[in-house]
Amino acid sequence: MKILVPVKRVIDYNVKPRVKADGTGVDLANVKMSMNPFDEIAVEEAIRLKEKGVATEIVAVSVGPAKAQETLRTALAMGADRAILVQTDDEVEPLAVAKILKAIADEETPGLVILGKQAIDDDSNQTGQMLAALTGRPQGTFASEVTVDGDSVTVKREVDGGLETVKLTMPAIVTTDLRLNEPRYASLPNIMKAKSKPLANKTPADYGVDIAPRLKTLKVSEPPVRQAGVKVPDVDTLVAKIKELGIA
Amino acid sequence: MDFTLNDEQRMFAETAQTLFADTCTPDHWRKQMETGEARDDARWQAIVETGFTLLLLPEAVGGLGLTELDFALIAEQAGYVALPEPLVESAGVAAPMLASLAPDHEALSDPSATIAIQHPSNPFVLDADLAAAILLHKDGEAYLATPDQVTLTREQSIDPFRRLFRVDWDPAKATALGKVDWDLALDRAALFCAAQGLGLAQRAVDMAVSYAQERQQFGKAIGTYQAVKHHLASAQVAIEFARPVVVAAAADIGNCDVQARARVSHAKLVALEAAEKAARASIQVHGAMGYSWEVDVHLFLKRALALTQNWGTPNFHRSRIATRMFTQPTGPDQTFARETENA
Repeated sequence: MKILVPVKRVIDYNVKPRVKADGTGVDLANVKMSMNPFDEIAVEEAIRLKEKGVATEIVAVSVGPAKAQETLRTALAMGADRAILVQTDDEVEPLAVAKILKAIADEETPGLVILGKQAIDDDSNQTGQMLAALTGRPQGTFASEVTVDGDSVTVKREVDGGLETVKLTMPAIVTTDLRLNEPRYASLPNIMKAKSKPLANKTPADYGVDIAPRLKTLKVSEPPVRQAGVKVPDVDTLVAKIKELGIA
Repeated sequence: MDFTLNDEQRMFAETAQTLFADTCTPDHWRKQMETGEARDDARWQAIVETGFTLLLLPEAVGGLGLTELDFALIAEQAGYVALPEPLVESAGVAAPMLASLAPDHEALSDPSATIAIQHPSNPFVLDADLAAAILLHKDGEAYLATPDQVTLTREQSIDPFRRLFRVDWDPAKATALGKVDWDLALDRAALFCAAQGLGLAQRAVDMAVSYAQERQQFGKAIGTYQAVKHHLASAQVAIEFARPVVVAAAADIGNCDVQARARVSHAKLVALEAAEKAARASIQVHGAMGYSWEVDVHLFLKRALALTQNWGTPNFHRSRIATRMFTQPTGPDQTFARETENA
């Protein structure tokens, strides 16, 4: 079985994002970029399935600028077998990414597509669900456990009330939550091997997908600065304050 | 000389940076200092699995056969977190030396085993008690012993994570390995001290910058005041000036000549001077609390001071640079010339 793992190059999770002075977006100049952490979990899960003998090939895909090659090399160094870069310098919205992934899925016919549940730059949480809708495949989102058994995959989902278990017939779409696994570090021998693994360069036009944006960003701003707390002398004053603020 | 790192080398450095950032946090330091444990087993396991301990070993003995420049990138990241484990001394200095003397030795077949080294330039041996083998020096000859074949006496270090031992031993109880190039071991160690110095310096500056952006005085972040900014800018300039010297030394070390040795010495001097300068600036920026145990800057100053006096004192390294200057042609056209070209 083949597994397709889309990965996105995003601002590193350790970096504090800064909004551009003109409010048009986040300043990415000279900022460390790395693989979206949820996508790292997806790559790790695919590798574990391959190590268990469930999967035979892992194909990593990224849609983005030429620099996204570095992200794909990281996926290859972790253990993916080959990679596809769909290169574009334009901002690509989740729907366009899902359409590109559908075209790749049609070509590659993977048994599973494992995606991060969301990217930490835009927090959209849409691509996996849109891909499932476009391909007509069953979806198991926010996975904290994935078990493949024959032609089906059982996904334990993290939902608001607790955990929900769903059984999907493959081919299927799975999106990963934080607790699914702990991604491995790419070892030095694997980093060296990654250089010789195949990486195909494509464009959105190769898949016949129009990536023109459907959304317009009006303004990006910093969250409001947290106000200082108020010290109260006793519980009665605390209760009165809470009532005054209309919290309770 | 091309100082550009290739994609692979950048990935090595990023992997080390991520691994150490995850596994060697201030909480890890404090826990280790409280418990007095020599190593964090989970961290050492991750280091071993990533292949850092195999980096400089030849492929013939199961290593990766990479270069000193590759290892220097890992050493820099180890410096950035003041790594407590003896990765640099074992995998960067002792293991390659043992591989050149006794490639079939069993200590080399276990990537998680550490090898300690006693060098004539150092009075004490780092982490000798936990080493699978200790390389010993006598009259230019190398010997090998296990910790139970020698007498170890614990010595204090300024650095709480450096576990030093005086080693008393009897050549009759150790295995003789023959003549070896102790200068190459010194060069490697000095180079990796320099690389660690870059990491130590950068961490000290980063900690100070972060604090200066947060700490308010007279209604403004202290980082907005020129007196603070200038201190940190000077420290960063020292780092930027030291980095190419370290990279040049790493690229040139294999030549093992007067020129290469002067480069290594130059690198050790400027990188550890940068580290000390940055750590002292960081302590100043942190104000009175900079001197306290609660702020971690002291770890970086102590490591910088410890490394400065190890693997050749500053005077020793200055004398090697003097040898280069007084025995070889100097001038802008000679910066990257080798002595063989002037023979």
